[in-house]
Formats: sequence, structure tokens, C-alpha cells
Amino acid sequence: MTPAVHTGPMITTGAPRGEQQGRGRGSRGSDDTARAVSVSAGWQPLAGAALLDRLRHTGRARPTADPALAADLRSFVAAGFDDTPAGAVASGLVVTKDRLTRALACPSHRVADGSPARPFTVPLACGALVDVLFRQLVTVGTVGDAMVDALDGLALDEHQAPLVAWIGQLAHAERSELRAEVERQSDGLRRRWPALDPSWLPRTRETLRASLAGGRVELVARVDLALGRPAEDEATVAIVEVTSGSRRPGHRDDLHVDALVGALRSSAPPFVVATYYVRTGELDVDPVTPDLLVSAARRCRAGIDAMVSADAGTRPAAFDHPYCAGCAELPLRADRPDRSAPSATVSSVSDPRTAVTEVVLFPQERAA
Amino acid sequence: MSHSTGTRTDALLAVPPRPVGDDARARVRDRLVDGVAGAVAGLPPGGLVEVALPSLRRARSRPESVGLAEPDFAWKPVFARRSLGLAAVRACVEGRFGGPAAAVGPLADRAVDEWRRSGWRTFHWEPWFDGLGAGGRAAVLAEATTWATPLWAAFDWAEFGPGVVLGGADDQWTCPGPRAVRLKGRCEVRVTIDPPGGPADTTGTAVGASALVSVSGGSPGGDWPEELSYLALVAGLRSTDRPVPARVLGLWPEAGAHRMVEVDGGLLGAAADRVVTTVALTAVARSNAPDVGGTVSTASEEGFGVEDGAAVEPALV
Repeated sequence: MTPAVHTGPMITTGAPRGEQQGRGRGSRGSDDTARAVSVSAGWQPLAGAALLDRLRHTGRARPTADPALAADLRSFVAAGFDDTPAGAVASGLVVTKDRLTRALACPSHRVADGSPARPFTVPLACGALVDVLFRQLVTVGTVGDAMVDALDGLALDEHQAPLVAWIGQLAHAERSELRAEVERQSDGLRRRWPALDPSWLPRTRETLRASLAGGRVELVARVDLALGRPAEDEATVAIVEVTSGSRRPGHRDDLHVDALVGALRSSAPPFVVATYYVRTGELDVDPVTPDLLVSAARRCRAGIDAMVSADAGTRPAAFDHPYCAGCAELPLRADRPDRSAPSATVSSVSDPRTAVTEVVLFPQERAA
Repeated sequence: MSHSTGTRTDALLAVPPRPVGDDARARVRDRLVDGVAGAVAGLPPGGLVEVALPSLRRARSRPESVGLAEPDFAWKPVFARRSLGLAAVRACVEGRFGGPAAAVGPLADRAVDEWRRSGWRTFHWEPWFDGLGAGGRAAVLAEATTWATPLWAAFDWAEFGPGVVLGGADDQWTCPGPRAVRLKGRCEVRVTIDPPGGPADTTGTAVGASALVSVSGGSPGGDWPEELSYLALVAGLRSTDRPVPARVLGLWPEAGAHRMVEVDGGLLGAAADRVVTTVALTAVARSNAPDVGGTVSTASEEGFGVEDGAAVEPALV
């Protein structure tokens, strides 16, 4: 039965897009630098309809509109800000996922706003190119020469001009390394990512905004893929973030911010947020629950407090850093406490279909 | 305000209140003409000042940027998304496609084919689009899909009947005086909400009334009633033989927000005052930057003046 979230019958490919042969479990392409950190027998990436099913069926009832919870979250996140409408000229505090992460970093990991952008690397370039290819695949259903298509698309984004120029001056060996990885990930996308029925209203790079405290605080998130008609009485939207790198704890923090912004701007939150790891085909799924939203609101509030105190020069010397993504950047272990997720979401990790069974490190071992 | 699609559609189509009368319209016009004349009095003759909704917003939020020289125009996906997105929604309303995601590709291909065959540019960006590689074209289509989808999902389109127009020419009105000041109003949807013979015909309140829908980036600011009323103001000044639009609904998809104004004389007057303020800021900027010269559009990067007229949202921070 097609859930109410979808505006038409679900029509998907019965099998992964493209060919399936030559990609048996454990095959990691031709990149000799890639290495398996851990391998669990019996696991293989979800693809096609199975991937969509994993996204659609979270095992939990979909949230319904809860104005009281939304109001509580809004007032909690923006506590301390005057609720009277801001003057038209006054600029509010814009809170993005990146700004939150930076604000919550401990002194060792802190990178101040306005610092020079982190240097371009091959993994970072790969991430940008794979993002473009994902968008292309969702939109037109095909990818030709992955590197050419990705650079074509990236070149249209004026903000990416420095990165495009950097890629253009890469030495032959580095460019070959980049091309190989982009092609490998593109191939994985083509084989695994399902076609999306237009009636699901897929949209890529959708910007979500939630204006709080009369515009004095604005939470902003751009999501790689949103599916489903805007929520009315029941949650109907699924959000997917795509990454070309390996798992990092901060990815879930970012997902939860997506869920929070979605909850604050609509009558009902998204019913699920997920990260799709293109390189491995892993799909981390978090059903959106009140606990998740409250947890995200706490982190968001802490980040806003840190931004405000940093701006005012009043950050306490003994500032606690429970949300520092850099400190949390350790291999995911079963005994590592998950600060951001309440126990309700553990099912997404314990689900054998999405469990962390294989992490293939990208060259230089940094996610893009 | 309810987020329900049906509720929103019903609210837009509700029998309108008493329309803005001709006297009120004339008073607002006179107020605007007088105000603009004073605002541009210090400018040398010649040149053209253009005002549009984005420039009204910019004059309020970033007054220091008004009158700055425009960057050279070059097509990019955000400039093409509105026209292609509107075409996609129109095609969906007509039942030709199940959603914008399915419509944008065939519509773009058809437009390019038509341009190649006849030289006719439906959207103006066909030659640019045709020169892009597959990845670039996909980026344009993706941008249009993401722009169009919230609009498509915002209404029960079947309820509008045949009296709905998507896109179309901008409303324009040139303020009389020695220095040309042109007002441009751009909306995404026009709906006839009370055709002759409709409910209002029996009460004599607003026969032939219409409503406008405007799609914007960002979040609604505190002055949204005046800003939405600006669109009704320009439409009402442009064509005095038609009623001033009875209401204007604004959609801010990024914020998941919509707002609606029932247009009256007071709101039209407030919108006219915003125009005067914007023109005055522009005049000051021009006076301080004599090199700018020529036509000064206060629409800036929001895309007005571009054939497609895409409304470009502020860059994501």
C-alpha cells in the first residue's frame, strides 16, 4: 500500500538502475588505495526499490502536526532573543549547519567565521562533483561521462569557480585519481539509486528556512534531496543528504538540524532524514521523533549561545564542548556514546541492512 | 495561517471584499506622482529609474546597495528557472505531466528544437541552454524543478478553472514627469476570482476581480503587506479599466510560509510610499555616483530586466 506521503502510486525500478553484474559483495572497484576497515558477511548495499523502501518504511508511525511541540522548540531555540519583530534593517543571526559546527567546536578544533576556506583537496573536489552527479541522476536519470558532466554542472555554479579552477590545474596523477573516484562513485549511483516517480515531487538542493524571534534568528539548511508533498496534518517529507566520503558523527548532527528546520517551518516535521553514502552505498536512516527534534534543538541552542557569546567576547574560559564534531571524529564504535540521538533512533543503526559493516576509506582518509 | 493546500486555494478564491474604487485609486496615483516628483527633483533629466518588488525589499533591508552598478549579465540556472518552472507548472495544470520533475526536460527540449527550427525563442535562454553540456543542462533542469515544485504543490489547481494565468507579461506603469520612473510588477499566477455571473454579481461588490500570487525567496519580512500590495498597485495603475486586484498571496517556499493581503486604499498608499522611498534612495545613490549614469534599475541582481526575469534569491549564507 502506498503511504499517504506519496502523491501518486509508487513506481520505481524493480532493480538497481543500470547493470548489476561485476559488482558483487566486497568488490570495491579498481582503486588500490581503498581498503576495507571492517567487513561483515552478508551485507551488501541497498539498491533500487529496496533502498526506497528503507527510506519510506521507518518502522515508526509518521509524526503528525504538533503545534505545541513546534512552539516549544521555537521558543527554546531562540530563547533570550526579543520576540518583537526585528527592524527591517536589522540583520538577524543566520544559523547554518556549518556555522553551528564551527561554533560548537572546542578550542583545538575551532575555525573562526571568516577564516580562510579550508584548502581544496581531491576528496573535497570529489564530494562537490558527486553532488552534481547525484542531482543530475535524480533530475534526468542518466549520467554520461561522469567527470565531464560533473564539471559541466559545477561550472554553472559561480560560487564553485575557485574549485573548478583548482581542478583544472591538477597534475595528471591527481586528476586521474579524482576521475577514477568520481567514476567509481557515479557507477555506484547509477547501479543503486532508484528512479523517483515525479509524483513524489523530488527536488534537489532545496533550501529550508525557519525564522525565529521575529526574524532575529534564522535557521537555514540546504538539503540534497527532498521528497514528498509539503506536510499538512501528517509528516510527508523525506530528506536525504548525500556524501561521497566515509561516515562521520557530524553527519547525523547535520541531519538532525535538517529535521529541526523542517519541523519549524512546516506544520509537521519530515518523517525521516537520511544520509546516503555514495561510495559504499550505505544509507543511514533516522526516523524523526520528538526526542530527535528536542535533541537537535538543544544542540542548536548551544550553538546559538556560543555564537552570541563569541560575538560579544563573553565566551567563558571553561566553555564545555560536548558537541564538538572534531572531538567526536573517531571511528564509530559501539561504545561511543551518541550524544545527538536519543535511544529511539538506535534502530537505524542496529538494522542489519544499514549497519556499519564496511567502511572504505577514501584516499587521504578524509571525508569530502 | 493554515498550511492546507485546500484552505489556501479556498482563501484565494473567496468572494472578494469591496474593491478599491476609482476615487481611491486616483488618490493613490496622485500621491505617488507627487512623491516621486519630489524624490527625483535633484536628478538631472534623462535616464530611467526602474522599481520592482525586489528593489523595494532591498531598499529596506540593504539601503546601502541601492543604485550600485549592475554586474554584466550572463545566463545562469537561477535566471532560467522561473520561466521554465512556470511552463512546467502550466503543463502540469493542463494534465500533460504528473509533476514538474517530469515536465522540465521535455519542455526545455521542445523549446530548443523550436528555436533551432524557427529562430523563435520561447524563453530567451534557448541558445545558452543548447550550448551547455549534459551536466550543465541537468543543473538548469534541476534548478527549475526545485523552483516549480512548491508552487505546484501549493494549490488545488483544478479549483481555479480556466481563469488562471501562469506567468505572462509584467505589469508596468511609468510615472509621468520630467524624469522617467517605471514601476514593474511581476507575479507568478493571476486568478480570476469573480467572473461575471459569479457570486459577487448578485451583490455588486467586485465583478471581474482578480487575485495575484507571488513567489519569493527567503522569509517574509515584517513589511510583507506593503510589499504584496505593491503588485496590486502596479497592476491597478497599469490598467484603470480593470479592478485593482482584490488580494495578493505571497509564497515563500523556503520558509514554508504564505501570507495574503486583502487590498484596500490604505495598503495601496503604503505601497506607494515605499516606492517613493525607494526612488529617493536611488536618486541619492545616483547623485553620489555620477559615473553610473543611464538607466538605473533598482531591481539589481533579482533578475528584473532579464527577459526571463527570474527572481534570484539571496545567496545562501
